[in-house]
Amino acid sequence: MIAVTMGDPGGIGPEVVAGAIVHAAAGREARFVVFGDGAALDRAAAAMRVADGWEACVGRAAEPGGVVVIDEQAPAAATPPEPTEVGGRASMRWVEQAIEAALRPAGDADRADAVVTGPISKQAWAMAGFGRFPGHTELFAQRCGSKRWAMMLVSPRLRVILATTHVPLLAVGSHLTTARVLETIELGTQACVRLGVASPRVAVCGLNPHAGEGGLLGDEDDHLIAPAIAAAAEQGIRASGPHPADTIFGAAVRGRHDLVVAMYHDQGLIPVKLLARDEAVNLTVGLPIVRTSPDHGTAYDIAGQGKADPGSMIAAIELALTLAPSSAADY
Amino acid sequence: MSLRIAITVGDPRGIGPEIVEKVLQDPPPGADFVVLGPDDIVARYQVPGIGVGKMVSGGGQLQSAGELTGRAVEQAARMAMDGEIQAMVTGPAEKRALHAAGFEYPGHTEWLAALAGGVDVAMMLAAEGLRVVLVTTHIPLSQVLQDLTVERIVRVGRITRQALGDWFGIPDARLAVCAVNPHAGEGGLFGDEDDTVLAPAAAQLDAAGPLPADTVFLKASRGEFHAVLAPYHDVGMTAIKMVSFGKGVNVTLGLPFVRTSPDHGTAFDIAGRGIADPASMRKAVELAIELAARGTHATAPGD
Repeated sequence: MIAVTMGDPGGIGPEVVAGAIVHAAAGREARFVVFGDGAALDRAAAAMRVADGWEACVGRAAEPGGVVVIDEQAPAAATPPEPTEVGGRASMRWVEQAIEAALRPAGDADRADAVVTGPISKQAWAMAGFGRFPGHTELFAQRCGSKRWAMMLVSPRLRVILATTHVPLLAVGSHLTTARVLETIELGTQACVRLGVASPRVAVCGLNPHAGEGGLLGDEDDHLIAPAIAAAAEQGIRASGPHPADTIFGAAVRGRHDLVVAMYHDQGLIPVKLLARDEAVNLTVGLPIVRTSPDHGTAYDIAGQGKADPGSMIAAIELALTLAPSSAADY
Repeated sequence: MSLRIAITVGDPRGIGPEIVEKVLQDPPPGADFVVLGPDDIVARYQVPGIGVGKMVSGGGQLQSAGELTGRAVEQAARMAMDGEIQAMVTGPAEKRALHAAGFEYPGHTEWLAALAGGVDVAMMLAAEGLRVVLVTTHIPLSQVLQDLTVERIVRVGRITRQALGDWFGIPDARLAVCAVNPHAGEGGLFGDEDDTVLAPAAAQLDAAGPLPADTVFLKASRGEFHAVLAPYHDVGMTAIKMVSFGKGVNVTLGLPFVRTSPDHGTAFDIAGRGIADPASMRKAVELAIELAARGTHATAPGD
């Protein structure tokens, strides 16, 4: 069973969830449980012109490809397309319910084998009093008690894992340690193995322009990143670098590397989004549960208009289905 | 008036001489060319050459390579300032060699600004469908936020707007400012510089933004903006290299003459093997012709 959270009720979450499940559920053994707002999902399915398909999924709740909507926390009225306290509280609660379902023991009838999360608004979470979580990833890590985790982007031609995630640029340097870079290399390597790449070639980005250019443009590349690469290589990981960020992603796309380790959020996300358009999936690695999500946000500007592209949500559900069966044994 | 364009071959040990040769075997139409570089190298081309000396072998090679690279650039810049040429295209240089020869600049951009009399310049990367201008260039990441001021962003934005109008034929260009923090700071949750520095600068420039780095380049490449102001090197360079497929061109904005170059380095590892891809150099020459054809009306030195 795959748990899907609807995300912020004012964003495009309801639309991409309904659109993607109708697409992904057909012919599947898996069942889906959506933590969200049933009325909002019905409206979204109509806006996306998949109302019949959605109704059919909900109608065969207990069967393969069927959908159960758990909407006990739904807001009383439709939520406007902006960050709201009520939207923040509801979307937070749905994620917590999904995590609880995923953490149930194997064999429990309500256990979820993977969680796919719809886009939330961090501002809405902050308005609802959850400002201490900069995003889903950190919430999952905290609830699962995971100390070693990382955010990874998986797209058809490029995989990227981040050594630091939602931190201001000013703080990147202080978050980045040799131990953290090594940990990210290890987590990414394990994830690639699970994704079917037996002995992944891991390219590690530098932090500074031209990877520091021999110390002329900063010394973290040589003093902090290079030792992590050497330590990974000692473990038998095929790690290389530090590589200049502006050329390494192109090399990876051309097939020379299976994974790129980026030092900070924008360094890793720019190439993924430019390349993958709407096919990239966000995967949290290092958790005891499988968690994926689309790589886009709430897109309030187009919410409720039926314009949202469910492509990334479909890819997120597909990746969760791929990883879920092995999760019971591996994690 | 027919255009005359100077090409410097760059570091003689790199792929510069080879890619210049490949481009000149089938030169883009619209200009006459003159090549500057080591005596023996410029003698190989089908177009007029200006030799700047001989490469020494053995111990002094690094310094010699730097001297020949540097002299070619300085002479081409003089010719441009004197109006003998309307644009220069520079082959890839190596910083270590230039420094060994006493040319102590971080890159061509800063060097040419000095040669042109200390003018304010900015570095643009141009590819099919995307133009990026760097607000800061070759500095450690830890220094970016110190250097990134409202004044600096506005200065670079104004140079960009002027160049887009004069050289690219885009009056009233739509500009976007790329954010410096993840998700443009997410309302201050991930850093406040986007709100306190980049937003006021964008407002002064009548530019959009700051917009999150992971979406602004995609929007620009779809035609929403004519150029993106990138706060630091790797965001701008990574974006342009993902969309340019090896055909990105570096353009110096703000000079009294046009200067372009390929967006790659000397590639010593493949030099001399005949396998270097001239695509970026060809684009650099084509763009130099296009910009100079427009720019001679707007900003001719000596006017």
